[in-house]
Amino acid sequence: MSEERPPARADADDRKRRRLLRRRRRFQEMEMEASRRAYSGNGSGGACLPPLPANDDDDCDGGGDNGKGGVNDGGGNGGFRTLFGHPYGVLPYGNIHLSSGGDDVVRRPGLGPLLSALNDEQLLCVLSYVDGKSLGGGVSLASRFLYVMSHHDELWRDVCLRKWGEGGIAVPPPPPPPPNGGRNGDDDNRGGCWRDIYAHNHALELTTSSSTTATTTSPRRTSRSHYNDEDARETRPRRRTTSANTTPRSFLRRHEPIRIAGIYSDVLFRSWLCRSFAFCPSWLEITTVPTLNHADVTIDLFLKEYEERNVPLLIKGASNNWAAMKKWKDVDYLRNVTGDVKFRATSGAAPLPAKFTLDDYLNYCTYATEEAPMYLFDRSFGVSCPELLHDFDNDLSRTCGWWDRNSKHGHDLFGLLGDGRRPDYQWLIVGPVRSGSSFHIDPNCTHAWNAPIIGRKRWIFYPPGVAPPGVYPSPDGDDVCMPISIGEWFLTHWDEHVRRRAHPDPSKRPLECTACPGDVLFVPHGWWHMVLNIGDVNDCASIALTRNYVSSSNLPDVLRFLDTKVGQISGCRDRRGEGAVPPEDLGREFRRALMEALEEKGDEGGEADDDEKKCCDEGLDSRIQRRRGKWAALLEKSEKRAKEGWGCDAWSDLSPTCSGIEATCALNEGIDMMMAVENQRTTTTTPSRSSILARAKRPVFKTRADGGGAVISTPASDGFSFSFL
Amino acid sequence: MDGDDVHGTLKLVSKEGDTFEVPIEIAKLSNLVVTTLGEEDIDEDDDDGGVVEIPLPNVKATVLAKVIEYCTHYKMVEPMTPITLPLKSNRISEIVQDWYARFVDVDQTMLFELVTAANFMDIKSLLDLTCLAVSVLIKGKSAEEIRRIFNIGNDFSPDEEVHLRENQS
Repeated sequence: MSEERPPARADADDRKRRRLLRRRRRFQEMEMEASRRAYSGNGSGGACLPPLPANDDDDCDGGGDNGKGGVNDGGGNGGFRTLFGHPYGVLPYGNIHLSSGGDDVVRRPGLGPLLSALNDEQLLCVLSYVDGKSLGGGVSLASRFLYVMSHHDELWRDVCLRKWGEGGIAVPPPPPPPPNGGRNGDDDNRGGCWRDIYAHNHALELTTSSSTTATTTSPRRTSRSHYNDEDARETRPRRRTTSANTTPRSFLRRHEPIRIAGIYSDVLFRSWLCRSFAFCPSWLEITTVPTLNHADVTIDLFLKEYEERNVPLLIKGASNNWAAMKKWKDVDYLRNVTGDVKFRATSGAAPLPAKFTLDDYLNYCTYATEEAPMYLFDRSFGVSCPELLHDFDNDLSRTCGWWDRNSKHGHDLFGLLGDGRRPDYQWLIVGPVRSGSSFHIDPNCTHAWNAPIIGRKRWIFYPPGVAPPGVYPSPDGDDVCMPISIGEWFLTHWDEHVRRRAHPDPSKRPLECTACPGDVLFVPHGWWHMVLNIGDVNDCASIALTRNYVSSSNLPDVLRFLDTKVGQISGCRDRRGEGAVPPEDLGREFRRALMEALEEKGDEGGEADDDEKKCCDEGLDSRIQRRRGKWAALLEKSEKRAKEGWGCDAWSDLSPTCSGIEATCALNEGIDMMMAVENQRTTTTTPSRSSILARAKRPVFKTRADGGGAVISTPASDGFSFSFL
Repeated sequence: MDGDDVHGTLKLVSKEGDTFEVPIEIAKLSNLVVTTLGEEDIDEDDDDGGVVEIPLPNVKATVLAKVIEYCTHYKMVEPMTPITLPLKSNRISEIVQDWYARFVDVDQTMLFELVTAANFMDIKSLLDLTCLAVSVLIKGKSAEEIRRIFNIGNDFSPDEEVHLRENQS
């Protein structure tokens, strides 16, 4: 007679079996993971390069000029070609399968049994701790593999930044071409410039006595050094001092790279790829940003149709008659008028910022070929070099009245705080061809205008709340995850971008344009944008001006931002101690400044009561009622719109979740949704917007991007929340 | 079954099959452990001592013991000073605490195994520390010395050697 197992026992056996299965699966996965990480040519978790042919630089169509030449062959490799081969002969890791011997030929013997256990990323990590002298000495002479690895340009960049970034990095101009032609037709295929820049600054350091050049022997700081406006205001001689060390004017001695065959590494190849990609013509073609000729733009038109509607606008020819347009074409004028003033440059890929004189920086631009080059973004040029400011400030107000501080609609309201206290707002932007800014939203909810003076810029916009391909903001907007370099974005996400151009909802489509010198571009607040300096044949670098501002059209959003997103406020953190307002106080101080301006511009005289000077919203209402000057009307309008619909559309947070993407949509859209829902629910009463508003205080609306379901709730404790599927 | 003790630990399995029982909080210094635990089914049962086992096929027992020692000290005694560039000094003992400086004062084979273990188990602070320790072996050495220390052959051709000397800054 067979015995049946009691049910409990069967359950236990079942669970045990499942556990063993899970365990076995886990062991298998770990084995795979272990062997994957053993790849020498890859970082331990590095994304793989898109498939690429081994670069045959002899066949290169680029012609070695600055980027207009490269041709898109449109072939099966995704259509991207580099202009030059890797200067040290490195090939992408996939090519190892075509070789006989693979890593055993150069890598393993060149590293020895111990070092070859590390992958390339780890090796670079080790080398990043090594000083310049050892790197260029023992390491690079030890073996062919170490020679190539030790010449990785970013290693040298970081050494230079740490030693001389704070005091200023000297970069001399390139050597003149030899009279009897180039050496082997390979002049454009030098290795990266940073090794040579290191050698130059090192030599300067040795020959300079401690009193002439600043801070070559300053103690290294362990903490990230902060840019200090004191430096900008320090009085310095405006001309370069002639000293024994710097005459005659030296040139950058370039070292000659040796090509080593048999080295396969995505880590080493990748940054080269991203910096030397050829511009594909299709990237630069279409114009979908609204465009007008300057003559056709009036203040009224601009404000009503573009600024208040929050739509970008390219104004052709707006800056044609600015003094800067003529004067800055002469690079010597720029070099002379800036003299020894140091400007600040940063890079997303670099651990520290660096300072350069404009002269040095322009020289750097002629060599700069990194994946994410140092980009000069200086916020103090108005103070450190007032001539530059005079070259455009008055012309701007004259030609673009909608951007005039005295305009009655209220422009540049942060200016009410005063120059020392307001967040950073104007920048001089200089960068080499192929540099630019990857996707971002401008700080503090501000609008901006951007005027290229030298060199063309390619712009890609995505509407507020629509994250571009490859860009993943965190739900609260504090963090964004995205590719560091523009080259990487183009290489990886272009196809998706093209698809988005045809998105069924036109309000979610990207907009693009090319801004040329003479044009000025309006960048409305909240819009994602990316900029690529495409340059022109004779340009040494791209030079542009930009300002960010608050006007009546974005004032409500700015106020809300200052109150609710203190952690994301930027442009005032590191300027304390000069009366600069810290981020946590900015909202309050801004309101106070607005109210003081209201007081000054009010039609009626009289002093306000002491307790009215408190800057709170209730006080604002009563003050508006009492004083009806033009500013009162302005603020009233802003506050009203804030109550009705918060001006800007779509504060959107996108977060990938396991069940889809939730998006926070604008208040107005949310109210529409709620009304639709209410209509469905009740047949007796008609819901009104104001009644919904009354119940909803700072509501959060979420809708699924796949169209299914919505959850609407308010954080207030009146318990109003609604959901349906 | 005494639930509390068992729940707080997991088992790390070395290449040779040895198991090390480690408190979960300490093991979570490794991101690999964190992601592996995250993938586990929650209804893992706790009868028959169903403690989670995580195999580490890359990591030898001796190395794993050292890694666990690191994590234990980090969590139970004091975390390591983060290593930031520029380095304050050329001496490890001046960059991190004494215990950590002594921790990497080991023979080279073990040091390199620690680098790969730290990489595989995704423990950033340990990776930084071990890479720093390796760099100390390299700094200030001539090419011949580096070749000797790491058992590297000189694979330059005579022409290349000449070219390199010329290009030296």
